[in-house]
Amino acid sequence: MTVAIAQEKKPLIKFDLQKCAFCKICELSCSDFHYKKFGDSISRITIIRKGPTMFRYFICTRCDKRFCIPACPTKALSYVGGNIVVDEKLCNSCGDCVKACPFHGIKLHPTTKMPLICDLCNGDPNCVKACPKSALTLVWLPEARK
Amino acid sequence: MTNRKTSTTEITDEFARKYLGGNGFAVRYIYDLVDPRMDAFDPTNVVAMMTGPFQGINIPTAGKYYMATKSPLTNGYFDSVSGGFIGAEIKFAGYDGILITGKSDKPVYLFVDDDKVEIKPADNLWGKKTGETQEMIKEEYKDPNLCVSAIGPAGENLVRYACVITEYRAAGRGGVGAVMGSKKLKAIAVRGSGTNEVADLDKFREWMKWYYEEVKKVPGLAVNLPTYGTPALVATIGKMFGTLGTYNHQTEFYDQWESLSGEKLKKEFWVKDTACPACPIACSKVFQAKDGKHKGAISEGPEYETLYSLGSMCGIPDLGAVIKGDSLCDEWGMDTVSYGVTISFLMEAYQKGLLTKENTEGVEFKFGNDDAMINTIEKTAKREGIGNLAAEGSLRASRILGGDSERYAIQVKGLEIPGHSARGLRGMSLGYAVATRGGSHHDPRPTGEYAGASDRKAVEGKAAWVIGTMQMTTIGDCLVHCHFMERLLGFTLTPRFVDMINPVTGFNYTHQELVDVAERILDLERAFNVRTGIRRRDDTIPRRFLEEPIPEGPSKGFHTDELTLNKLLDDFYALKEWDPKTGIPTSAKLKRLGLEDVAADLERL
Repeated sequence: MTVAIAQEKKPLIKFDLQKCAFCKICELSCSDFHYKKFGDSISRITIIRKGPTMFRYFICTRCDKRFCIPACPTKALSYVGGNIVVDEKLCNSCGDCVKACPFHGIKLHPTTKMPLICDLCNGDPNCVKACPKSALTLVWLPEARK
Repeated sequence: MTNRKTSTTEITDEFARKYLGGNGFAVRYIYDLVDPRMDAFDPTNVVAMMTGPFQGINIPTAGKYYMATKSPLTNGYFDSVSGGFIGAEIKFAGYDGILITGKSDKPVYLFVDDDKVEIKPADNLWGKKTGETQEMIKEEYKDPNLCVSAIGPAGENLVRYACVITEYRAAGRGGVGAVMGSKKLKAIAVRGSGTNEVADLDKFREWMKWYYEEVKKVPGLAVNLPTYGTPALVATIGKMFGTLGTYNHQTEFYDQWESLSGEKLKKEFWVKDTACPACPIACSKVFQAKDGKHKGAISEGPEYETLYSLGSMCGIPDLGAVIKGDSLCDEWGMDTVSYGVTISFLMEAYQKGLLTKENTEGVEFKFGNDDAMINTIEKTAKREGIGNLAAEGSLRASRILGGDSERYAIQVKGLEIPGHSARGLRGMSLGYAVATRGGSHHDPRPTGEYAGASDRKAVEGKAAWVIGTMQMTTIGDCLVHCHFMERLLGFTLTPRFVDMINPVTGFNYTHQELVDVAERILDLERAFNVRTGIRRRDDTIPRRFLEEPIPEGPSKGFHTDELTLNKLLDDFYALKEWDPKTGIPTSAKLKRLGLEDVAADLERL
């Protein structure tokens, strides 16, 4: 796959409810990759359980509307190469992006208060690799026309 | 709880090195804080919720937490381990564990949010089932990720084997939930925003790589458990070994084992796989009855032990009924093993005429009556009618019923025996007899004997084998990981455990040091039990097992008679350096393990 095609398509981490076993290894492998520490509060993917068979996952979906970007009062967020990128110099940790995201795909780091948004681990997502049930897969969707 | 106060203490590195975590921390605190002569429901009893070095990292099978107390069932030191994210969450909140002392006058629950620790009123939660309680607390904080461990009505009403439920998994055995209920503590809710680290990340990643390579070669962990979960054992134990306890152990060959098998569950009842946190094995399954009498019944489980206790022991070959019973036990908050074995004991008492319809509110308490098994769950949780008797457990029920019923109360030290035969496996004959917890398959382990690593009939060398498995489970309970790892790491405490522990803790243990940690903890548990009055005479198994061999099936004729058990005990005490007459650990050994204060306590007896 060439870089040119990648730019025309957008990445999505897909979730298979039937396969997911709610082990949360994805959360721990995410924090391990980004911070060399383990903790669900600093993971960019979140899985919750509602009832015996109902799990839900929250992660940046790279949605077409990108609600977080206009919501940011300091213009710290931008969309580059399929990822929402945070300019940490501009960010004032107000949390408006967290509130704006209808997919609950953003949370603030508990100590630095910077937004945590999935960055696909440089194109090879650790959560997808770590999932023992193959419930997470990386797919490329066509970008919506502007 | 009495003063509604909370405080924190620091754990020193020296203490951590000596006791490792989980089991070790809890037993030292409980030994120091609890007067062993007091009743388990006395306010001075302590409930410990502990974590070990493995919580809050992504090491396989460590998504667990550890609870300990003085048990209302065995009157001795008791611990119970369950899956659930709350262990990791306690770490993320910055703690190693929680100790609960005293007794509240009104229902309360404990809320831990990083540094904020609060005791909150729980009047609206009192009387609610476990699932509803967890939902209500999560709803109160609008946080679906909040981890809640709750007791059900069984715990509130002091059913002696009431459990603690987190999500859908239970810290089941020994009545930890009942002790929480006696303190009027409905639930513990924890959330933490912190993180956890390992001492040597590079070495740890290397070990993880090794694990994921090696685990593929272990069929139990790579195929059987992920596909069928623990119900896979029904075929092994029911058909191959013929040691599946049936009709209250009147036999151990269940001719209808096939209708309780893991294959049937998977084919007809399976809905989806679930896992304890951070566990890639995902042996837990959600099963649902899709038709039949109990259509719609859904449960995470039943596990093998429940298929034994509610299924073959009660003579009920209907999986729908077992699933229904399993989910009701979870909801009302009680241990399925102790409940099922107590019910099967009552069924035998009914069969023998010690119980009549007058005692059972007109219910035909016969083997195979699934309605009796299911309907008595609610009665037991509320302590109504026959349920009040069942709530006492099989040993106390047999003393109330009288006659010779104690000989077929399937328990050791008050704890009902799970589905690993004390007759078919020599290691378990000795293991149950000497285990801290009594009838528990997580002190000694049966797996090695099933796998043929130790001859299940052998007498020579069996004591050393049992000690090895007990050291392994003790270290496992300190780390608070799953004993299923034994299939990869070894059935006894092998050097492979050292390779796993050192990168995480940074303690650089030698193998001998780790053996000493295990022995220190085991002997401290024994010392606590000795001070409650436990002696060699209590280290035995039910008379039925000593006197009646297995009557039929592949293990026909197997059992351990009194003479053999005594020989095994002699060997065991000699190797453990316990006094052969009394079963009390010797001063010399305790002092060598750095337990001078404990040696002094025992000398004063």
